[in-house]
Parts: sequence; structure tokens; C-alpha cells
Amino acid sequence: MHDLFQRLISLPWDQAPQWFFLFPALLMLLAAAAAVMLRNLIHCALCLTLSFIALGVLFIALGAEFVGFVQLLVYVGAVTMLILFAILLTPASEVAASNNPFRSFQLSKALNAVAGGAVAMLVLAGLLAAIFFSPHAQAAVNPAKAATAPAAAIGENLLNHTLLPLQGTAILLTAALIGAALLAKEDKRS
Amino acid sequence: MHFLENLPLATKKFILDLVKGACGWLCTKLGIALPPWAMPLLLTLVSILVVIVAIIAVYMVMFALMSVAERKILARMQNRYGPNRAGWFGILQPVADGIKMLTKEDLVPRGADKIVHFLAPIAMVAPALMLPAIIPYGTGMVPVELSAGILYFFALGAGTELAVFMAGWSSNNKYSVMGAMRAIAQMISYELPLVMSAVIAALVAGTLSPTGIVEAQGGYSLGFIPNWFVFTPWGFVACLLFYIGALAESNRCPFDLPEGESELVAGHLTEYSGFKYAIFFMAEYVGMFAINGLLVTLFLGGYKAPCPFLEWIPSWCWFFAKLALLAFSMVWVRATLPRFRIDQMMQFAWKFMLPMSFAALIAAAVWYYAGRGPLAWGLSALIVGIPYLALGHFCFTRHHTADNRRYLYSE
Amino acid sequence: MMLQLLLAISAVLFCFGLLAALTRSNAIMVLIGIEMMLGAGNLNFIAFWKFSAHPELLTGVMFAIFSIALAAAEAAVGLAIIIQVHRRLRSVNINQADQLKG
Repeated sequence: MHDLFQRLISLPWDQAPQWFFLFPALLMLLAAAAAVMLRNLIHCALCLTLSFIALGVLFIALGAEFVGFVQLLVYVGAVTMLILFAILLTPASEVAASNNPFRSFQLSKALNAVAGGAVAMLVLAGLLAAIFFSPHAQAAVNPAKAATAPAAAIGENLLNHTLLPLQGTAILLTAALIGAALLAKEDKRS
Repeated sequence: MHFLENLPLATKKFILDLVKGACGWLCTKLGIALPPWAMPLLLTLVSILVVIVAIIAVYMVMFALMSVAERKILARMQNRYGPNRAGWFGILQPVADGIKMLTKEDLVPRGADKIVHFLAPIAMVAPALMLPAIIPYGTGMVPVELSAGILYFFALGAGTELAVFMAGWSSNNKYSVMGAMRAIAQMISYELPLVMSAVIAALVAGTLSPTGIVEAQGGYSLGFIPNWFVFTPWGFVACLLFYIGALAESNRCPFDLPEGESELVAGHLTEYSGFKYAIFFMAEYVGMFAINGLLVTLFLGGYKAPCPFLEWIPSWCWFFAKLALLAFSMVWVRATLPRFRIDQMMQFAWKFMLPMSFAALIAAAVWYYAGRGPLAWGLSALIVGIPYLALGHFCFTRHHTADNRRYLYSE
Repeated sequence: MMLQLLLAISAVLFCFGLLAALTRSNAIMVLIGIEMMLGAGNLNFIAFWKFSAHPELLTGVMFAIFSIALAAAEAAVGLAIIIQVHRRLRSVNINQADQLKG
């Protein structure tokens, strides 16, 4: 007992914090899987939100605090709220469902799922092969210095090196705001 | 007085020393050799734990005091007694409330989505308890020092909307869904001016770190007026906008439409009872204290004393005094103002508060570059004053809407 | 090793997104899948930034920030289109939106 404790405490626990990112990563993957598999749309959107929260925590664990907070603010606060509102605003109407030719034709649906699954698996296999077996995989640099992204450095970078993209993003966001409002507006003429 | 100033930090150091001593004694007693990194790691964990316990304890005490103080103050303003049965002047009322809530039956509607219905209170209280972590309570007394602390606050605040949606939707009740929709619409609308006015303070201080913003408000002009942001034209406007936004974000009167009793039973809380309801209630109050703490940090000089000759009072006392003043003012507002109508509330956010926050942003930038002197004062006062008068005249004057008003359901 | 692990995690997330976009017939689920794929891309940017030779240049972080901003715009416009389609067809099934087929 005493010996076991001594051995347990002599494990390199000080190396543990750099593997903490595995917890949010695992949570993120589980939530994403649930979001894909579940039937109820609201449950899908809630699982997607959980997945995004875990992704934000993962960013924070990797040292990119600012990006993690932006991820939480934009995705949890805005994007998933939009998705949830859209789900509530577009109820699946019974008439449309019965007219759907694909509802009665179950074979096509099953085929669709199998084909989609096969494509996704192929892409996954290709990506994993590229990640683990490509000659460049061994060339990956292991940094000696800790990577940090303080808010002040990001702000300076935004206004010095990426000013033009920043302005472009501002114009794009304004255009998207106006466009979305116009699109979603009820057409009075029809 | 130096002793009082250092009391919280000294207590923390004492606990850490105690743990260190106890651990060393235990290890020599048992004959275990600790690796060199073990003690610092342990002490870090213990200090995190101490801070968490301290924050939760302080906020729970404030919640308990507030719940009885609010009812006493409201009663005084409405010429009645208020709670006066439990304990001396009703001081034990929170205990009685807690026992009542804990012993009530926990009802879950048959048509409810049970998992989401169960998770909603947790999703509500977890971010609310994490909010107070970045607020500087005194000199050197900030639980977590983040370079993007303000962003952290608003990122977590976004979680509340999700919890409200979960509560409303999972209850499977029309009033719940309507209340949740109202709450989300209100929170999203008022988050914009809230974030904009926080940006103004960050802009002038040149940092997103709350401690940095408090330090930027140190010192006195003319020897007695503190350099708080609220004492500048743009800061005054931004502070008021932030205060109104804070009222709306914490769903307090006059922005309590989401749970307006006379219209929606209790909004998204309709199907909650017992301890889950108490958790929602607690999350709301903790969130209110946290956002008031941020208001104190951003505009009211945080833990700084208001006059040079009062600096002998410990800094954390000043912080909590300002917080108590703001909490009292929120009760006062609740006793004074009637509830908004939903269209008035949305109009107020989008047509008045958002343009005003942009005007205050420009005024702050002008003030910053015009040298902070009398000229800067005049210019920035002009920049916030003209939009105020124009918006008030064109959007909110009675004659503008009186002609085309129609009473749809009463004719 | 850590970098490859992160890339593998992001690849799995990407494929979940792809699966949602390919197999579900609800337009909102397709959008959810696309958001997941974008999230996987952001994770790659952050992973490469963390293990790059010069993390102080912040290239990956800047890319991730811009990509998040663009994803928000994309979601807003996409959902507006979905709501408009629902208004026309009374359905958000993407198999029914086939008026351009001729």
C-alpha cells in the first residue's frame, strides 16, 4: 500500500497539464457524433452547441485564449441561437411530408445514408493516412517556446498586418446583415 | 489599517502555509519522498480551491442578504412591513426560504423533455458562477488575471441565453416558450449596447484586462475629483447605457417581460419548482452581482477610493460599497418604474441605445485624441449631446406616434 | 505526436460534419454539418499555430479569428435563405427544392 502510493506519486504528474486538451477534445467529438445521429432537430442543435463549447475550451487549453472566447461568444451566443430560432420558425408541415416522394421510397433513403457514410469514411481514411504516414508528418516542428496569444498582440496584428482583411470583413458582415434581413423579410407582393 | 487591506490575501497565504506544513509533516511521518514538482503543483491546486470557495461563499452571502434586503426595501417604499417573522427584523428569511425550496416537490411535466429540462438549471448556474472570476475586488485581489477578461465575461454571458432557451423549450408549455423567446430577444438586443459601452472603457484604457481598466482610472484631477470614467461626458453616457443593459440582461424591472407574472405566469420558469427554481433564482442574482461588479470596474473606478482623504479604508471595502449602492439602485428602479411593453423595449434597444453607444464611442475617441482638457470635454459633450436630443425628438416624442396608433383588440 | 493527434481529432470532426451534410435531408442539418467542418478547419489553424516555428507571428490565430467572423455571416445568410425556402415550399427538405431542374 505504502509502496504503491510512493510509486503513484512518483509518476510524472507535472507532465499531465499539457495533455488536458484531450478532455474537451473527447467531449467535442462525442457531442458532434450525437449531433449527427440524433433525430430531434433541437437535440441536434443543442449537441452542436455543446460541441462548440468544447471546441472553445480546447482552443483555450491550447493557449489561444482570445480565439476560444471569440468562439464561445460568436458560436454559442449567436450562431446556435440563430439555428435554434430557425428550427422553431420552420416546423415540418404534415402536408409537405406526405407529398415527399422520398418518404415512401425508403430504399433511396437507405442508399443515401450508405453512400454518404462511405464518402465520409473514405475522406477520413485519406486524411488520417496523410496525417500519420506522409513524409511531412515527421518534419513537424516541436516548439521549444510556449505559444501564447495575448489580446494586445492580436490587436496590434489586426491593425498593422491584416488591416485590409479586417475592413473587408467589416464590409462583408454589414452586407450579410442587410442581406439576411432582406431575405428573411416577408414578401408583401406575393 | 494596512492589516485590514491585506486581510484577504493574508488569510489565503495562511491557509497555503497550513497546507504546506501539514503535507510536509504527513510525508515525513509516513516516510514518503515527494518529487520536487509535487509541492508547487499541490499549492497551486489548493490556492485555486481557496479562491473558488471564497468567491462562492461571498456571492452566496450577498445573495442571501440581497433576497431579504430587496423585500424589506420594496416594502418600505410601498408602505408595508415586509418579511418580519423569521428572526430579528426578518433577517433569517433566506434560511426559511431555503428550507421551503428544498422540501418542495420537484415537478417535471409529463410532456417535458426530461433530460433538457434537468440540464437547463445547470447550464444557467454554471456560467453565472464563473462570471465573478475576472473582477478585481481589491488591490492585487483578482481571482484570475486574464489579458482578455472583458471578452471572457461576455463569452460566458452568452451561455445564459442558451440555458433560457433550454428551460423554455423543454417545458413543453406555451407560456414557457413565449417567455424564453422574449427573454432571448431581449438579451440579444441589449447585449449590443452593453458590449459597445464596455468597448468604450476598454478603448480609453487601452486594455481588455479589468485590472488594467481600474488602474487607468486611478488618481484625481484638481486634487479631489477622481479620474473615474463616469465623470467624463462619454463615460457618463456609456455608464448609463451599461446600467440599463445590465438591468435588461439580468431580467430585472422594468425589463422583466420574460417572466411578467400578469402575462406569462412566470415565463421560462413556469414548469420549474422546488430546488431547480431556487437555482434559477440564485443564478439570476449572482449574474446581477457580477454584471454590477463589471460596471463598477469599468466606470466607477473599481476598488479606488472616491476622495484622497478616504484612502485609508481598504480597497475591497470600496468595491463592495459601490456594489451595494448599485444593488440598492436596482431595487429602487424596480419599485419605481412600470414594466415595458415588448415593442417599446425593442425600439428602445435598437433605435436609442445602439446609436447612443456609437455616439459615445466616437466621443471617447475624440476625448482621447483632443488631449483630455476642457476642449476635449466640450467636443465630446457635443458629440453625445446632439444625438441624444435628436433621437429623443425624432423617435420617442408622443406627437410622432399619436396619429397612427391603433388599438387592435379593444375596438 | 501531439500535433498529429490534434490533426486526427480535427479530421474526425470534419468527417462528422461531412456525414451530416451528405446524409441528412433537412437543410438546417446540412448547415450544422458545414459549421462543424468550419470548426474543424479552425482547430487545424490553431494546432498548426501552436506547433509552428514562430508562434509569435500569430498567423494561425488571425486566420481562425477571420474564419469565425465569416462563419457567423455565412450562418446568418444561410438561415435566412432556409426560412425563405420554407415560406415558399412549406418544407425545409432539400430534396424538394428542385424548381430549377426544368
